[in-house]
Amino acid sequence: MSAITAEPPHIEDHAHHEDVGFIRKYLWTYDHKMIGLQYLWTALAFLFLGGGLALLVRYQLAWPNTEVPILGQFLPATVASDGAIIPGGYNMLVTMHATVMVFFVVMPLLIGAFGNYLIPLQIGAGDMAFPLLNELSYWLYFISGIILLAAFFVPGGAPGTGWTAYAPLSAVEAYNGTRMGQSLWGIAIFINGLSSIAGATNYITTVVNMRAPGMSMFRMPLTIWSLFITAILLVLAVPVLSAAAAMLFCDLNLGTSFFKPAGGGQPLLWQHLFWFFGHPEVYIMILPAMGMSSDILAVFSRKPIFGYKAMVYAMVAIGFLGFIVWGHHMFVSGMNLTLSAAFGISTMFIAVPSAIKTFNWMGTVWRGSIEFTTAMCFSLAFVSMFVIGGLSGIFMASTPVDLFVHHTYFIVAHIHYVLFGGSILSIFGAIYFWFPKMFGRMLNETLGKVHFFLTLIFFNMAFFPMHNLGLGGMMRRIADPPIYEHLKQLQPLNQISTIGAIGLGFTTFIFIWNIIISLRNGKKAPNNPWNANTLEWTVASPPGHGNFPKTPIVYHGAYEYSVPGMEKDFLPQTEKAPEHVKLEAH
Amino acid sequence: MKFLLLIFTVIAAGLVPAEANSLYWAPPNVTVGGRQIDGILNFIFWLTVIVFFLTQIVYVYYLIKYRRKPGVKAHYSHGNNFLEIIWTTIPVAIFLGLGIYSNRVWADLHRTPPPDAIQVNIFSYQYGWEMRYGGADNQLGRTDIAQISTASKFGVPAEDLAGKDDFTSTELVIPYGKPVHVLLNSRDVIHSFYVPSFRLYQDAVPGRTISWVWFEVERAGNFELACSQLCGIGHYNMKAPIRVVSPEEYAVWYAGKVKAAAEAAQVEVPANNPSEKVAKNGPAT
Repeated sequence: MSAITAEPPHIEDHAHHEDVGFIRKYLWTYDHKMIGLQYLWTALAFLFLGGGLALLVRYQLAWPNTEVPILGQFLPATVASDGAIIPGGYNMLVTMHATVMVFFVVMPLLIGAFGNYLIPLQIGAGDMAFPLLNELSYWLYFISGIILLAAFFVPGGAPGTGWTAYAPLSAVEAYNGTRMGQSLWGIAIFINGLSSIAGATNYITTVVNMRAPGMSMFRMPLTIWSLFITAILLVLAVPVLSAAAAMLFCDLNLGTSFFKPAGGGQPLLWQHLFWFFGHPEVYIMILPAMGMSSDILAVFSRKPIFGYKAMVYAMVAIGFLGFIVWGHHMFVSGMNLTLSAAFGISTMFIAVPSAIKTFNWMGTVWRGSIEFTTAMCFSLAFVSMFVIGGLSGIFMASTPVDLFVHHTYFIVAHIHYVLFGGSILSIFGAIYFWFPKMFGRMLNETLGKVHFFLTLIFFNMAFFPMHNLGLGGMMRRIADPPIYEHLKQLQPLNQISTIGAIGLGFTTFIFIWNIIISLRNGKKAPNNPWNANTLEWTVASPPGHGNFPKTPIVYHGAYEYSVPGMEKDFLPQTEKAPEHVKLEAH
Repeated sequence: MKFLLLIFTVIAAGLVPAEANSLYWAPPNVTVGGRQIDGILNFIFWLTVIVFFLTQIVYVYYLIKYRRKPGVKAHYSHGNNFLEIIWTTIPVAIFLGLGIYSNRVWADLHRTPPPDAIQVNIFSYQYGWEMRYGGADNQLGRTDIAQISTASKFGVPAEDLAGKDDFTSTELVIPYGKPVHVLLNSRDVIHSFYVPSFRLYQDAVPGRTISWVWFEVERAGNFELACSQLCGIGHYNMKAPIRVVSPEEYAVWYAGKVKAAAEAAQVEVPANNPSEKVAKNGPAT
């Protein structure tokens, strides 16, 4: 037992005061729950924005160079002319969509919102180890978001070099045409990185030192394990990106030549630095989704998670292997060919832990007593969509096949099956699951089901045809596909995809509507609406300041559901198993 | 929820017989190496389709069979180590085998080009392509990266005699049935040589010459060379025609270009490259 400090840290002695005022309550707070909610609302706003950018991209691909309905008039002159998107503007939209979604939506939702909200509550702590650092990390995130969006309004406009910002295109103003926009991108990434590093340091310290008595590492819920491993990945990977962003800034503004061949620099250096961050990043954005979905699957199957330790070891393996596969983004970049072969093999290996996890999820629902709540539906769909995204990854992992599909829409399909079908579906599931705890109200289940089914249908309609587009030879990031002879016949697929994307956009309004009406009139949530075992369900919904009136004591793991010989089918971690009941070792 | 996927997969798979020699709406492959790539692609396709349907059928069956019923309690089990070992070992074996086989093909595709391969130097720039051929002596002048400038677009040193008779073309003309070895360069940012029908992609990196790309086309046809690496505002339209012709036709075309180059060289002594148009260095504004 490494730690017993579960008391809230004594930063401020106002735990018992009610009248802290609007600013201290909502804007500058040291309470991890409120910081989690700050992240949640901000990132959902960014999700809305990033989705809008995606719709503009999709519109241009389906009906190139025609006036965009409604949104067209609001676009700046660098992006559109007479309401129709111009090629340079298209590059900006693609770049900003991806940057927003990766750094300002998926990471903040999984790590900032759920990480902050759940870590202290699920390990039985009163707050994070460093509450001030925690609030600082939120505001750094917020500021970096503003800086990024400001790029749309500077001379030259937003960067149009892709979220990967390959040098020397990104490093030389003469090539990219927007020194200021690209510099702001670099600054935003750098500050966003500081936020991630601060948050991750906090999470690691909290998980290691502040677990409640009895909460051994192998009694932690998989959500906590996934966030813990993710935090370690962040601390190791993000500084490399921050360094690269700083070097890019120097190349652009201070006359250095890190990446410019004319001054002796190396274009491939940028790619190595970027992907050394970028591949762990892929797992940073999926591990917490896996952890939360695992917990939701167990709760609504009323079963212990199948192979708990195998799940933990698989995540550790993913974390480790995630650092030695970055070169698979660079098979055909001009990197040494033997190196490509080596990265090809390590990439094949990283598919194994993902396969293990999938089989264990299936083992979890096997012989369960499955209740199809909206949260469960999203988590179940997460598994299926993740399987598609994982399987399509095998194509690119095979070095010769990558010669054909590299940089085509096949890759775009793959990342969206993992990032949307995986991470975002899981995030929706987690919102439906933890909303009652966060706000003391249940979300509407009927609207939730409508939201779920429409999301699933439109998602597949939007992204499945991209596999065919990619194999048909459609390159990424081209503003006007039909100008290529071989892409003309594929245009109907582009239109199907865009209609799916528009449907997906409108479906979001159902979700927003559900949140609004449920916050106002939703059914009052009891402490433990789902009969779940983890610690957050033993306290009030929403939990008070300091979380636990009394430091909880943990007696067993988080997955003791349907224990034979017991009346009820769950056994909270704070409850001792009755004398006559024997818990299975795992 | 799987129906949509089913429909799409059937559409994709159903097109294989519909358009012979073409894979899931992919443009027909025309190179020797592309056959090997399509072979692996096909194998992975069927592997993933089978794995997908097997797992999803079992999964959906479980979801239906084990839905909540009154009075039925879930089975209490924390897992099974034997199963864990099984479903770890089998994927390891499959993926390792696939990885090793892939790398053998990868090595084969990148073996040293045959000595009789036709060499073409492809220069990319924002936003276009220039192809340089060996000229009368069939020898390309060697590109010295440091000497690339507006005056010397290909960076061939003046003292390099092999470069004197080189000629350039805005279209890539190659014969079928012969190995073609391309040397890739870029004058500004990273571009890429991408021809889906050739099953071929390779980045052209400024400051370097990429020298390991070669292929052999099997039949005549017209194709498009596309840049597939985001390279700036004009990226979407950075393409060049590729004409694959019979060896005889190629010889005629080649002789014509050599003759034209020689005539142009006599007009403007001392001869530099008979440029067809001035290269744009830097972005078009």
